[in-house]
Amino acid sequence: MPNSLIEVKNLKMYFPVVSGILVPRKVSDIKAVDDISFDIRRGETFGLVGESGSGKTTVGLSLLQLYRPTSGQVLLEGKDLCKLRGSELRQVRRRMQAIFQDPYSSLNPRMNVFDIISEPLGIHHIMSPREYRRKVEEMLTLVDLDPGMISRYPHEFSAGERQRIGIARALAVGPEFIVCDEPVSSLDVCVQAQILDILDSLQTRLNLTYLFIAHDLAVVGYMSNRIAVMYLGQFVELGTRDQIFEKPLHPYTRALLSAVPIPDRAAEKKRQRVVFADETSGALTPSNGCSFAPRCTVGDEQCHEAVPEMEMREAEHWVACWKS
Amino acid sequence: MGAYIVRRLLWTPVLLFIIGLITFFLSLYGPGDPIQIIMQQYQDPAIVQRVREQRGLDKPVLVQYGIYIKNALRGDFGESFKFRGQTVSSLIGRRLWVSAQLGLASLVVSLILGIPFGLLAAQRQGRWQDTSIISGSLFFYSMPVFITAPFLLMVFVLWLKILPSHGWGGLFDARIIMPALILGLPGTAFIARMTRNSTVEVLSQDYVRTARSKGLSEFRVFWYHVLRNAMIPVFTVVGLGLATLVSGAIITETYFGIPGIGRLTLDAFFARDYPIITALTLLIAGAYVVANLIVDIGYRFLDPRIKFE
Repeated sequence: MPNSLIEVKNLKMYFPVVSGILVPRKVSDIKAVDDISFDIRRGETFGLVGESGSGKTTVGLSLLQLYRPTSGQVLLEGKDLCKLRGSELRQVRRRMQAIFQDPYSSLNPRMNVFDIISEPLGIHHIMSPREYRRKVEEMLTLVDLDPGMISRYPHEFSAGERQRIGIARALAVGPEFIVCDEPVSSLDVCVQAQILDILDSLQTRLNLTYLFIAHDLAVVGYMSNRIAVMYLGQFVELGTRDQIFEKPLHPYTRALLSAVPIPDRAAEKKRQRVVFADETSGALTPSNGCSFAPRCTVGDEQCHEAVPEMEMREAEHWVACWKS
Repeated sequence: MGAYIVRRLLWTPVLLFIIGLITFFLSLYGPGDPIQIIMQQYQDPAIVQRVREQRGLDKPVLVQYGIYIKNALRGDFGESFKFRGQTVSSLIGRRLWVSAQLGLASLVVSLILGIPFGLLAAQRQGRWQDTSIISGSLFFYSMPVFITAPFLLMVFVLWLKILPSHGWGGLFDARIIMPALILGLPGTAFIARMTRNSTVEVLSQDYVRTARSKGLSEFRVFWYHVLRNAMIPVFTVVGLGLATLVSGAIITETYFGIPGIGRLTLDAFFARDYPIITALTLLIAGAYVVANLIVDIGYRFLDPRIKFE
């Protein structure tokens, strides 16, 4: 049994759809995350891919309890985080942090770098206020920023620099687990590489465990040990990096892979894309069967009638599909 | 930053000079002859001519304005037409203090009621508290003083008999409560809506989520991260509201028999008391210019993203 840091069991996160002006009432649910189970092992990077709206970010935020899951368990070393409230929960936040997608809106514009990074230090009683400055400078150095910028405000930095401030902020409290929620999606490609390198080297140095969320398979492939592919709130395939890239089983995974450009002219010319007929058919009205069936290129009657469960096809490689 | 403030301060007198010029022209070329008001029943052309010369009203308009500005700079805004022998400065000065106290009291009412209601609505976004506060504030915002004043008088003075009906006794007198409440209601409604909207917007910002993920208590997230950002637009409204302190409230002051600027304005208009009208216009315009300056400078302290150009 591999040493798992986080175990997720039957996680569900539904958002109510409310209608009515004077007397608001719930009319239905959006099933952003619908019955997902997996584990994240100490020291690994667990990649999560899927298109926009597939529920990747919701999974990340539910693990951190920034969304309180509708049902299911999130176990951090056996302790169920969903049951924690108030100060107990805030104490656990010291062990798990997040790097968010948008480096512009995720930093409070009225706080300077020192305030942003040092604020959680006091909350968690990590050190006395006299040591904050040294600690903040140390964190800035860790992410290759000039410690002299300590009293600047977020708007004075570039997107990549702001993302590094975000990383420094997340690391300041000394967490073990970090949810990287599309940390490079809003950055230029060359800046993306810098940030990925920083994340990579910090992981080894500080023995961190990552949940790495992205919609870019190339980025996820570069970072991850294991990868889960999400579609409309559910996992459709889960395997090691090599399994997903070399032997994809689910038609959706294959379609995603076919969309990755190959940096080689001959190979790129031969690349055949799987093109879907329509956009996502909607999380509000799922059919009885496989949620991917309406867009699937290999599906038949069976797929519309019953939901496929996740099944293990070989060691570490799971897939939810009738046809693979 | 210093240079910016100095430049703004240097522009202020230029603005006031132009505003004064326009008002001065309007009062001279507008309907009604000030001399006839001074003279009233004495209509002997010789006397009229002598008074005209005495008051300098026979000189070209620009020269008259020059003289006016020269005197104004020494604090002399001339003599009232209606109240003989009383200087404009003394007439305005006394009433200005009254109106400022009333305005301050109503501003305090607006803030004390408006901000908590707005915050409550934002926190209960989409629920019945939000709906009722927002529709209630729309109701009070659109309700004119001549409806709210009689209604509140009826309730508090006639039925409950707990508040005096009219008169003036200064900031710490029970008689200020009714007019301050009535004047403050539209402001309360406006500030409540403003607070609600900007708080809702800030609550949806990613940095609020970041703050929660740091492990901060909800209390600190709200008071430190949300409120500090949500109050910036409210500050603008309150800052500009400072200007209304000197403009007085015509209807409310008349209704409650308060000797403030509003009543003086009304009296001056009816009497075509041009020296007073011109001075009041300059005063109010000046107040708006200064309030704007305060808001602009304050804004740059509140929001580090705004730079002094």
